[in-house]
Amino acid sequence: MKVVTIATTDLRRLLHWRANIFFLFVLPMLLILLLGAAFGASEKARIGVLGANEGRLARQFVAALGARPSTELHRYTSADALQQAVARGRVDAGLEFPAGYDARLQQGRGVTIGYFARPNSVAQQLRATVQSVAAEQSRTLAAAQVIQRDLKASFASALARAQAAAATTPRVLVQLSAPDGSAYRTTAGRFDSGASTQVLLFVFLNSLSGAAFLIETRRLGIARRILSTPTSTGTLVAGQLLGRLAVALLQALIIVLGSLLFFGVNWGEPLGTAAVLVSFCLVGTGAAVLLGSLFASEQQAGPVALLLGLGLAALGGSMAPLEVFPNTARTIAHVTPHAWANEAFSKLLKHGGDLVTVLPQVGVLLAFAAVAVTAAVWRLRHSLTV
Amino acid sequence: MVALPLRPATTAQASSENYVPCAWRSPDEADMSAWEVSPMAALRTVDAGVKGAPVGPLVHGPVLECRELHKRFGDVEAVHGVSLQIAAGETYGLLGPNGAGKTTTISMACGLLEADRGEVIVAGRPLTTRSVAAKAAIGYVPQELAIYPDLSARENLRFFARLYGLSAAAANARVEEVLAVIGLAERAREPTKNFSGGMQRRLNIGIGLLHRPQLLILDEPTVGVDPQSRNAILESVEALSAEGMAVLYTTHYMEEAERLCDRIGIVDLGELKAEGTRAELVALVGEHDRVTLEGTGDLEAAARACKSLSSVRAASVQDGGVQLIVDSARSVLPELLRTATDAGLAVSAVEVDEPDLETVFLHLTGKALRD
Ligand SMILES: Nc1ncnc2c1ncn2[C@@H]1O[C@H](COP(=O)(O)OP(=O)(O)O)[C@@H](O)[C@H]1O
Ligand SMILES: [Mg+2]
Repeated sequence: MKVVTIATTDLRRLLHWRANIFFLFVLPMLLILLLGAAFGASEKARIGVLGANEGRLARQFVAALGARPSTELHRYTSADALQQAVARGRVDAGLEFPAGYDARLQQGRGVTIGYFARPNSVAQQLRATVQSVAAEQSRTLAAAQVIQRDLKASFASALARAQAAAATTPRVLVQLSAPDGSAYRTTAGRFDSGASTQVLLFVFLNSLSGAAFLIETRRLGIARRILSTPTSTGTLVAGQLLGRLAVALLQALIIVLGSLLFFGVNWGEPLGTAAVLVSFCLVGTGAAVLLGSLFASEQQAGPVALLLGLGLAALGGSMAPLEVFPNTARTIAHVTPHAWANEAFSKLLKHGGDLVTVLPQVGVLLAFAAVAVTAAVWRLRHSLTV
Repeated sequence: MVALPLRPATTAQASSENYVPCAWRSPDEADMSAWEVSPMAALRTVDAGVKGAPVGPLVHGPVLECRELHKRFGDVEAVHGVSLQIAAGETYGLLGPNGAGKTTTISMACGLLEADRGEVIVAGRPLTTRSVAAKAAIGYVPQELAIYPDLSARENLRFFARLYGLSAAAANARVEEVLAVIGLAERAREPTKNFSGGMQRRLNIGIGLLHRPQLLILDEPTVGVDPQSRNAILESVEALSAEGMAVLYTTHYMEEAERLCDRIGIVDLGELKAEGTRAELVALVGEHDRVTLEGTGDLEAAARACKSLSSVRAASVQDGGVQLIVDSARSVLPELLRTATDAGLAVSAVEVDEPDLETVFLHLTGKALRD
């Protein structure tokens, strides 16, 4: 089992260098944590409210907002405190009711609510929620004004009648679903998408960096020496491929188990996820060995590995989600294996997909792997025998 | 000037005389840490603990035979028609300056490089780059250090032991033996990048010994090594040869070739210019050695007696000694001493002034071995 001897020696060398623990384990976990904190969809959007006791209408507005399932209210008593909370990210947005909110509305005059937020997607969603609550209140106020004028009633009683009517008025509702008609799983955890995109980034990046091992083995004359023993070129090539694959799989396993343990990340249907990860690791293996056979020195290969590792990840939706890409960019993204794997993870993690639903993506990844490994074997054999 | 009688004509003869088969040695001769002091002792003692023949099956005929090897790199004719044979227990030296084609020849001899023309036969079997199994007969020690700097000496040895086909258990046992032989047992756990140049060289050689090859190929193993380590390396090569290993040794140091090699091939510009024992090569120069026998007794009678020997060209009494011109001091010296002693001369010192391989190289190529 010389193939295994060669592969395990590669793995042993990797783990000899303590700094690799950082790159294989600590860094991915840190990034998943950061991404989860920065962009992850938390269970509820947190909104800070100031001046909620301005009167009945203000209180009703805030109550309606708080009743929405996706919002969580935090009350503030000073503008400074609210602004700081938004700036520090303790809440996603702040809502400020002006003084005399109720009085102005009762006099039939317009009023402006202050809404301030950091420019992110959670704040955008919250703004839509706030606007819909505002629209609802405006609608009731409009009805109350009509009642007050036509029946010569007091504003308070007109408002009460309008509100009673509003409770029974038919409404137009918007149903949200995925393009294929399946329901969105809205329970996707804060760290889920960060973990699935980062596993791809790191598996590929660390695979490519591993090309240095192959280059060093050749540069030091160790590959030549291995071939002077009763070991065929085929065995050496297979051993090096297996070594790279073992590292890629180890990286994937570390991130999956680590994120599961530390952040409770949901990895979806196990078979589907395993199929996506293994086929993606095979692509990384082929790419690593190909890179290792194309360059003569680690110094040349290093920057290329970094550029390709980060560049393909960015292009393939491992830095910003594919969903936000314009159509052409999303089409172009599919030249990267990352895009196919991210697509598969999106099915598995957000839409309850399983092995069968991700088979097309897995198929494409395996084709990527076949091409990369074939080219790598051919180039590596060449580099070893010249 | 070389002072004699110091060294027998060839290492192989000397070794075979006082060579004791491994199995006869008792383990209490062991001094595992004695590599620096006496690698021969360490080697043999260690070998004694291992079952089976020390150096592979017995081969009839040469262990290595190269026939008319040719190799060209673009415009460079790196090797041009090199043929050589090495028998079991024989140490063959390829002596030539940098760029002479030694490494290229060796690469073809151990199946790492495809020859353009010619063939290589190892232990009776043809060897090409594709003959995987046949490579088990060869221990190749490359010119550059081919060891993992981040792995320990033990890890490096275990890795290659497995590649040489040893089982896990056999590999572990053999690795400990080799560690003792190369004097690295104490530091076996350290990454080799912490080692001195000499220690790294020893490990480099140790790897080639793991599977007890019939043929050991050493490519300039003493380059960049301190004198102490160099001496240790040379002694261990002598010991291995004494145990029946065939050794192919390249060097551009004349002294090493003279000391180690039974036969020497002189290479330059890819061609084997001449081949033979040291004496044979020196004889090519056509010069003769001058031998001075100092002592007391009948100088005239001694001179007359010596002159009657066929290889003695001239003999005369000078400055209280007998001065002789001989074809080859090396081959005639024992007889010369006996004859002089019989004739009544009590010899107290012998001086030989002889052409060396440096002279031979100059003679053959018109240039110095080292510039
Ligand atoms: N792979 C190669 N490609 C091109 N030229 C080479 C190669 N290997 C060796 N040479 C050339 O062949 C000649 C012999 O080299 P080499 O066998 O390394 O000599 P030595 O080992 O005696 O120093 C030199 O001129 C060297 O430059
Ligand atoms: Mg050389």
